[in-house]
Amino acid sequence: MSTRVLTLSRKIVLFFRKPKVEKTLKVAGAVLKWVFFVFIIFLLYLPIFIIALQSFNNSQLMYDFTTFTFKWYGMIFQERSLSQSIINSLVIAVTATIISTVLGTVFAIGIHSLTKKKRQKMVLLNQVPILNADIVTGISLMLVFKLLMYIFPDIFGFTTMLLAHIFFCLPYVVLSILPKLSELDENLYDAALDLYCKPTTGILKVIIPSISSGIFTGMLMAFTMSIDDFVISYFNTGQGFDNVSIWIYASIGRQMSPAVYAYNTAFSFLMILVLVIISVKGSLKKRKNLLKFKQNKI
Amino acid sequence: MNIKKLGKLVLPYLVWMSVLVGLPLLMMVVLTFLKSNALDLGTAEFSFDSWRILFSDVTVRIALKNSFVNGIIATIICFVIGYPIAYIVANSNFSNKLIILVLTIIPMWSNSLLRNNAIANILSERSIVNDVLSNIGLNFIWPIRGVVYESGFSPAVVIGLVLTYLPFMILPIYTVLEKIDKSLLEASMDLGSNKIKTFFKVTFPLSIKGVTTGIIMVFLPSFSGFAIPKILGSGSLVFIGTLIDSRFMNRNYNFGSLLSLVILLIIFGSMALIFKVDKEGETLI
Repeated sequence: MSTRVLTLSRKIVLFFRKPKVEKTLKVAGAVLKWVFFVFIIFLLYLPIFIIALQSFNNSQLMYDFTTFTFKWYGMIFQERSLSQSIINSLVIAVTATIISTVLGTVFAIGIHSLTKKKRQKMVLLNQVPILNADIVTGISLMLVFKLLMYIFPDIFGFTTMLLAHIFFCLPYVVLSILPKLSELDENLYDAALDLYCKPTTGILKVIIPSISSGIFTGMLMAFTMSIDDFVISYFNTGQGFDNVSIWIYASIGRQMSPAVYAYNTAFSFLMILVLVIISVKGSLKKRKNLLKFKQNKI
Repeated sequence: MNIKKLGKLVLPYLVWMSVLVGLPLLMMVVLTFLKSNALDLGTAEFSFDSWRILFSDVTVRIALKNSFVNGIIATIICFVIGYPIAYIVANSNFSNKLIILVLTIIPMWSNSLLRNNAIANILSERSIVNDVLSNIGLNFIWPIRGVVYESGFSPAVVIGLVLTYLPFMILPIYTVLEKIDKSLLEASMDLGSNKIKTFFKVTFPLSIKGVTTGIIMVFLPSFSGFAIPKILGSGSLVFIGTLIDSRFMNRNYNFGSLLSLVILLIIFGSMALIFKVDKEGETLI
């Protein structure tokens, strides 16, 4: 009996060691791996497909697809409360992104210049808004702004929401620039100053160009975080200053105007388009430079 | 080393952060010992009410349990799915890995509340997916929206959390996997380890930094959120975030602050952990 089991198991092992079988197994593993990958990416995108489907649905009902239509896209700016919240979201996101990118670059250079111990402490402080739960960040800021209300009674609304967005966007900008700064050759900045550059010119002409990819990443992160934020905006708004997330939250459970699906689909599509254009431009530039380099060599 | 002189640029940031992080913390601690109408200090009086409620109220216990159960299950699923995805991308021979990463970021440009609303739609008894599929003779009905087990586990909420926060698990793990020196793996293989042993003895220990960040970045928002449970849990499911929201909306800042401090305690613990494994914050982006 036991010898039988032994020979059988040996046969099984030998079977899997056959080159042909080994190869098939490897291929099957690779296929399985990519099936898993595609499936998960599909799941991540499924809600977006559903939103797109709803945006083309002639019926207002969420569960009933009647006929195909583009009419909701025309309705985006007909619905006043929705269009106002879209404008608010965009204004806040763009302003917060610009301000936090500029300030974040300056602060990142400052943090990089500190001694190691101080730098680590600053990085830790910088992480607070990233790691903190949105609800705690939102309430913390609200408490401070409520204090400020004694001096500026009308502060709640645009101002508080903008300040709050700058608060949580800044750390992302700083964190994306710091690694680029540690790759920077500090002698370049020294050389610039030796050649009678003022520190500001040195920063603008030497440091900023070498960390531009980090600045771009930070900008993208800041915009992404700002445009999608709900919780922090929710606690730091007032006087009816709603962004899209707050508008959606208020409409949950009620009949939501399908125009919001149209807006969301159009916005995602536009962002993807911008990204594609930027990456195509970038790769074209690279190819051009490479060609130039080759020609010079010849 | 002229660049060292630029350290003073950080001063305004230090002031800004101290005011917006330190001051509210102080206010919250003070508020927990008061009984006041919002921030109206004129009528405020000293009271231990909030602390008494924290330890005696059943709702608080249920909310904490619900948040923990769903948050932990969502985090585990994100890890089990996210690690292999990050590993596949890091070890693929795609010419432009950035594109694959952007693929995981793009969903974030779609409003997260709307995305969860769409998930709620799929998981309802009548869904638009089923309506479209039924035209070609297929059926997909999986009405688990609003289903809550006795442990507080709600499958629909967990699905929503996983699909919302999965990118936060994939990105930091990918960042560390990408940086691993491939010659270490070759050395391990040369010294006689097989692929599986190399993974557990070399790759995984080197990726702990990213795993820690990923787990915290998924667990904290899952634990403290209140919008996703509201959308997918059909209102009956109370999370700790739901309680905080309702207290602050009812102008009970005292108890709301105390509950926020409970969350903060967990966050400080996580931050200490991250500071231990990743001092420069490399994995957070």
